[in-house]
Amino acid sequence: MSALQLAADGLALGAAYALVAAGFVLALNASRAVNFAHGDTVMAGGFLSVALAGVLPVPGIALLPLVLGLMALFGVALAAVAYFPLRGRPPVAVFVSTIAAGIVLQNAATAWFGAAPRAGPPLVGGGAIELGFAVLPRQSAAMIAAAGLVYLGLRTLLTRTQTGRRLRAAAQDPGMAEALGIPVAAMTAISFAIAAALAGAAGLLLSNSFFVTPAEGGNFMLKAYIAAAIGGWGRLHGAALGALMIGVFETAVAAAFWQIWAEALLYTALLLILLFRPSGLFGEAAGTRA
Amino acid sequence: MRRLPLLAALAVAAAPLLAAGGYGLRLLTSAGIYALLAAGYQAIFGAAGALSLAQGAFFGLGAYVTGILGARYGLDGAATLVLSAAVPAALAAAVAAPVLRLESHYFALATLGIAQLLLLAAVNAEALTGGANGLPGVPGLRLFGLPVERGWPLMAAVWAVALGAAALVGRWSGGARAPVLALMREDPIAAASLGIDTGRLRFAAFLLAAAAAGLAGALHAHFLGVVSPEAIEFPVMVACLSMLVVGGRLSVAGAVLGALLLVQLPEWLRFIGPWYLAVYGAALLAAIVFAPEGIAGVAARLAHAPLPRLPPPAAPRAMPRETPAGPLLSLDGVTKRFGGITALDRVDLDIAAGELVGIIGPNGSGKTTLVNAISGIVAPDSGALTFRGVPLAGRAAHRIARLGVARGFQTPRLLDDAAALDNVALGAHGRGDAAALALYWLDRLGIGGLATRRCGDLPGGARRRVEIARALAVDPRLLLLDEPAAGLTPEEQDDLAMRLRLLNAEGLTILVVEHSVPFLKGLARRMVCLVEGRVVADGAPDAVTRDPVVIDAYLGRNWERRP
Repeated sequence: MSALQLAADGLALGAAYALVAAGFVLALNASRAVNFAHGDTVMAGGFLSVALAGVLPVPGIALLPLVLGLMALFGVALAAVAYFPLRGRPPVAVFVSTIAAGIVLQNAATAWFGAAPRAGPPLVGGGAIELGFAVLPRQSAAMIAAAGLVYLGLRTLLTRTQTGRRLRAAAQDPGMAEALGIPVAAMTAISFAIAAALAGAAGLLLSNSFFVTPAEGGNFMLKAYIAAAIGGWGRLHGAALGALMIGVFETAVAAAFWQIWAEALLYTALLLILLFRPSGLFGEAAGTRA
Repeated sequence: MRRLPLLAALAVAAAPLLAAGGYGLRLLTSAGIYALLAAGYQAIFGAAGALSLAQGAFFGLGAYVTGILGARYGLDGAATLVLSAAVPAALAAAVAAPVLRLESHYFALATLGIAQLLLLAAVNAEALTGGANGLPGVPGLRLFGLPVERGWPLMAAVWAVALGAAALVGRWSGGARAPVLALMREDPIAAASLGIDTGRLRFAAFLLAAAAAGLAGALHAHFLGVVSPEAIEFPVMVACLSMLVVGGRLSVAGAVLGALLLVQLPEWLRFIGPWYLAVYGAALLAAIVFAPEGIAGVAARLAHAPLPRLPPPAAPRAMPRETPAGPLLSLDGVTKRFGGITALDRVDLDIAAGELVGIIGPNGSGKTTLVNAISGIVAPDSGALTFRGVPLAGRAAHRIARLGVARGFQTPRLLDDAAALDNVALGAHGRGDAAALALYWLDRLGIGGLATRRCGDLPGGARRRVEIARALAVDPRLLLLDEPAAGLTPEEQDDLAMRLRLLNAEGLTILVVEHSVPFLKGLARRMVCLVEGRVVADGAPDAVTRDPVVIDAYLGRNWERRP
């Protein structure tokens, strides 16, 4: 495998992780609670893509808007069931409720699709792109492009629109935002919707080359968390950057040694970061969030 | 009689298992193993309030220790059981130093990381663990050479161990320690300010949990006769968490009840086939949303806790009138920055024993940071703090409290669900008759009559005084108060000032941060003004309130003309 191809694969994986991590941080900032079902939401997005591809025989990229929309609805439902009833209770209640929601998702997926890995649709078809001097796997290139597009959309939404500004205001200081007439609860619901949409998009992107299995949610959750820890707790772009690093690292280690070393090293890195820099490698965006 | 609803629930939960013959016996054994696992988990998640996600992995670790030592080397159960508990406990102790000081989700994720690493090891260290196939042929349990047959004998042995462990955890977390743990769960900072060593309590809970999990894993290995990665995978953790939350996480009885109930769930839900695991998650979700205290908690509520009995109040031993060589408290160039903001800027301050000092200053001038730095809740970036000649640098908040520094918070941080008496007793915990001391201090603050009232129902002024009584119950040399007059009526303010002056006359040194200058003028004999983290004035109240710098920065030009 050429270095360029390896880099493309690593960046593709990292780009999908970046969407997961960005969604994780967005919901974290809005709710000030860790959503333990976020990894299972990625898995749900993957299976949604598998199911949709069974009905609509189109390339994966054409399913992207549909996946984004349906998963956004799912995010609102998740918030309604596992977050809003527990507002004002200790954060650990939300940890448990989202773990529970994750269990439901995981086992519903097992009951529906079976425990074996399933492959989702390729984004634009298989094969490779001939560049003359090198060969790029088409799926990886498409993953990077699609993730970049979704991320750009997110950025535009957050910085250029009134809703985006309100979302950020509500996340930064809910009390002040409420006083200014911003409907904070609605903003939190929208944040959960965007978070789930991003996770679902990542699920679609990953579903072809990396398959979908019901039990994989925990790993996505951990990686999003590690990305958020690397990038500085609460920082959106930091987390996305951290996720890119994780994807490249994982691909490189897996190519050089084995996949399990990549994961073992990542989890060890997580423990080391928590030990030495609990506020993240790039510093914390705001005060301690619980 | 109080335990009647709980015992009834346990009997109802166990009845179908006892009636179901051979299959019921297997389920009952399984329930005992899970009861042991969940009872240990109650120590760390229920009592200590830390969401550990490594309990399932510790269970698997215990199972593998028994599998490897029992199946490969034929060691006796007496040895393997001890080692199966000891290895996870040793691992917990090894990771405790970095992991236990983490709060909230940091702790949850760190323990999840440990669990994932153990799972990776179990699946991939094939030479030791048999990889994905696991270790077949784990022999039945033998204790000192005597076989404990599968069936009734094993079931009885499992339950004996489970109930023994539950009793141990219940003993550890009950009695006088129960309210201490409750405060630690709800507000670790307030707990530390009373001299409670939260780190040590969590450490003990984490070790207890790991040992119980390892023991449960060992019994599970004997019970099934094989050890596979299934024993260490996340569903074990999920089952354990669900059982404790559904059963009731605040008592070990809840853990046992949850285990008895949830092992039967697959049986009850057989008609929905593979969906039953999803129902497991739904049950957990429903429990946390609708009955966060679980079934045992509901049962306890039905039984009505009795009101605390009031002992005769007992005065503390007389406060020694110290005449130390230097000042009681000394700050030397103390600086604290938060990001780009300098909250304390080279603060020098000496406070002699017996003084009553008021600190004023505009919002954001560093007053609260000053109190936090003295009480050890924030660590200064530079400078030295000395109390009774002891340097405070690097000392945890609870150790500073034990040196004799007690404090109140800007908003009183109390256990709302506990009586005023129990809240104040937390300050005196571990020192003689805590309740009698607590009542004494409530009387001294003029609210002895509210002793049995639930703190959450008390008005603001009373809550403030309960918190001051709690700080006094710590038996401090120095009392730090952060805006004690806020939210008090003028009459209450006068009353509080009178009581504080009396305490000061008895030898207690007091430092009061306050916005209300009239309150302070009637109270303090020395006033210090902070502006942007710097001491700009220090002296007699009249001199400080006339200081042009203070008037400019804080009081405003019209101060003197105000009524």
